[in-house]
Amino acid sequence: MTPESHPVARALGGALLAVALVLPLITRAVLEADDYWVQMVIWVMFFAYLSAAWNIIGGFAGQYSIGHSGLVGIGAYTSSLLLIHGGWSPWLGMLVGGALAAVVGGVIGYPCFRLRGAFFSLVTIAFAEMLRVGAELTDTLFGLHLNGVRGLLLPVAGDRPWLFQFTGKRAYYYVMLGLLLIVLAVGWMVKRSRLGYYLAAIRDDEDAVAALGVNPARAKLAAMMLSSFFAALGGTFYAQLVGFITPTRTMSIDFSVQMVVMAVLGGVGTVLGPLWGAIVLVPIAEITRAVWGGSLQGVHLIVYGALLMVVILYWPQGIDPWVRRGVEALARRRRPAAPEAAVVNVPRAVLPERGLLAAPLAQNGGGPVLSVRGLSRSFGGAVGVRDVSFDVAPGEVVGIIGANGAGKTTLFNLITGALAHDQGEIHFAGRRLGGEPPHERNRLGIARTFQIVRPFIGMTALENVVVAALPRSRDVATAKREGARYLGFVGLSHRLHTPASGLSTGERKRLELARALATRPRLLLLDEVTGGVDQRSLPGLVSLVRRVKAEGLTLLIIEHNLRVVTAVADRIVMLHLGHKVQDGEPHAVVNDPAVVDIYVGGGVHVAS
Amino acid sequence: MKALLQALVSGLLIGGIYALIALGLNIVFGTMRVVNFAQGTLLMGAMFMVYWLNELGGLHPYWSPLATIPVLFVAGYIIQRAFVSPLLARDRAREPMSVLLVTLGLALVLENIALALFSADFKTVQTELSIATFKLQGLIVSVPRLVGLGAMLLTCVVLYLFLTRTDLGRAVRATGQDREAARLMGIDDDKIYGVAYGLSTALMAIAAAVLVPFFYVHPTVGTSFLLKVFVIVVLGGIGSMPGAALGGLIVGAIEGVVGLYVQAAVAQIVLFGIFVAVLFVRPMGLLGVEQR
Repeated sequence: MTPESHPVARALGGALLAVALVLPLITRAVLEADDYWVQMVIWVMFFAYLSAAWNIIGGFAGQYSIGHSGLVGIGAYTSSLLLIHGGWSPWLGMLVGGALAAVVGGVIGYPCFRLRGAFFSLVTIAFAEMLRVGAELTDTLFGLHLNGVRGLLLPVAGDRPWLFQFTGKRAYYYVMLGLLLIVLAVGWMVKRSRLGYYLAAIRDDEDAVAALGVNPARAKLAAMMLSSFFAALGGTFYAQLVGFITPTRTMSIDFSVQMVVMAVLGGVGTVLGPLWGAIVLVPIAEITRAVWGGSLQGVHLIVYGALLMVVILYWPQGIDPWVRRGVEALARRRRPAAPEAAVVNVPRAVLPERGLLAAPLAQNGGGPVLSVRGLSRSFGGAVGVRDVSFDVAPGEVVGIIGANGAGKTTLFNLITGALAHDQGEIHFAGRRLGGEPPHERNRLGIARTFQIVRPFIGMTALENVVVAALPRSRDVATAKREGARYLGFVGLSHRLHTPASGLSTGERKRLELARALATRPRLLLLDEVTGGVDQRSLPGLVSLVRRVKAEGLTLLIIEHNLRVVTAVADRIVMLHLGHKVQDGEPHAVVNDPAVVDIYVGGGVHVAS
Repeated sequence: MKALLQALVSGLLIGGIYALIALGLNIVFGTMRVVNFAQGTLLMGAMFMVYWLNELGGLHPYWSPLATIPVLFVAGYIIQRAFVSPLLARDRAREPMSVLLVTLGLALVLENIALALFSADFKTVQTELSIATFKLQGLIVSVPRLVGLGAMLLTCVVLYLFLTRTDLGRAVRATGQDREAARLMGIDDDKIYGVAYGLSTALMAIAAAVLVPFFYVHPTVGTSFLLKVFVIVVLGGIGSMPGAALGGLIVGAIEGVVGLYVQAAVAQIVLFGIFVAVLFVRPMGLLGVEQR
């Protein structure tokens, strides 16, 4: 997931930058009326910039804001009003506007981040629209002259660099180039950082991220504030370049949509995607404007809309992978059979590591790790779990069995905090659990796997585990080393750099186990480790669970396969229609006629 | 006091139209957990159909649903099958946010095609009812707006009966609650999704029929309504049908009352304040339930 750092890529990037630096000089030498062309390149860079700002929350985290024009408007209006009323330099004003936008973006975003993504889209678009209409209708606000729909005309001051005013387009060109480089560099750093891993994982599966001890709302908030800040800087640039702002122009929904379209076409979630998108799309708008002129204003928007649909439906990766493949092809031609760059140095022959899980096992006293008392939860009128009580001692492996709908997964969701319980108590390591969300319960030491495996599909195996190791690691490099160790433990060291989408079901189960172990839990909840796994992979998985057990970790496992559960569990708790009906030594439980009757319809004896 | 009541009545009357559009959005969200950004442009399309049916065929707007409901139902069904369904299948594991972007693209295409075809002129349809009013306890009530409110209430009742009393309606609700379980019960979930989508777009035919007698027809009219409706949906609770009705009436009332006493700009600011407050206190909306 780290952007290309191959020498060829670096050389190409350097060449692109060099061209960008001398372009205005070339156009001056060879073209008449070259300001038109310089202006056009400024627009390409401007939209690439805005789209890259949007990309931090929209692309990296998959939270589609459709109200970024409102943030652009905040930036434009803040610096312009400070300039007009207070004589402030827009260079300062743009930072004030950026800070203001970051706060506004945070305030708007935070409540949404605890809910679904669609909600965030609605809220951002509603916010931008109310801001636009409000600004259009407001002539003065607290003594500031907004001039409503007529907008603000910025004072013309000639060539005054300190006031962000230049004659000719060239200086604006370089300012924009600088801003674009900054936002791309920030994107690149975010992508490689702790936050970048969290955001990419959130984009794939937010619940799974929370189960690893990461607070998704906080990560999204950070991304939104960063994104809002840079969007607002773009607004100030626009105001200074054009010299005239109106709510209709700077806060129009078209602006917001263009940021989205460019980032999506370029490649959602990539650092350079917005640049590719803008390079393709801005000229289309210019060309249609040149051909149809003022009579048909929205032709380019028809093209944008159609492209958006086609890309989402048939080409979700966008342009960026093409560029990558192009660069890789070039690299191969220059240096055939270049060895694959190893991201982490892993000892080649990773033996099953001993003592990997020992650290977190210093248990408190001798009391139970988990103690559940009278736990109940219903859904509407339906019983999920009713009055369930049991204890789990340190180092004990307790199997939970029961038919479909018995309440097994509901019980797990209650213990991990994915669901709130109606009645009863959960004590973990001597502490009574209340309303802690899943990420806090994980930090206390409760980890889980999911019934249907939920790897972060857009990441490699190692990156998956890195997300889990990060909350407890000093930095990304440490987390990578940790992650590789856990992948070694589950027997996936040969798969470190394989995308999770390329793993078999059995391997995904192992990956999820490694992810859960990397959070260094004191209690691990395994939801059907063997479910959906073919017969050949089964023994390997069972012996893996046994090894986890041998390390002394306390386990709670949901298991349908009675042979497996009797082989690994010290005790079995049986649920039926939400109630606990049995609790005892494995063979005694599974051979209890009443249990057998409920579970398999009678008459089956399970051999040891 | 009388002016206040007057403003309240006018606001509530237009709020009924908002509610109708919000209802359409919430049917789709309630079943598929996706937002249809093309809802507004479909309303615009329906309004143009009503306009041309009147202009060329002399059909009274109130009779237009006979022709426009089937067209919009089919349009919604096709949109669901062609664009939404494949994405729902692809993004089964995660929240289907890509659907939102596809409908956004569709809205962009349709609205700008309409701008190119019909130009940006404001068109209106004059009927004998367009400016008709009557007095009730001294309050002026606009007849076409009252018809709009009536249509909303009637639609709510019919929709409620459909969803609770018919097999198809129950299948829509069941699929919305748990798609997999509904499929296991023998419900054709793809068809049900198509029906729900068609139903939601068909509501735009009703909204268009009651809107056109007193509102201009313009390529961007749908989007301007839709953006207001997003506020309503967030306020009332995303996916909640009573929330849509309540939110529509509240927003209409605020616009009417604050707009009368101070100015329209302040109404926007008040609305915005309420919006942010609701976000913080009850992010799932007034009548919404938390979606996990």
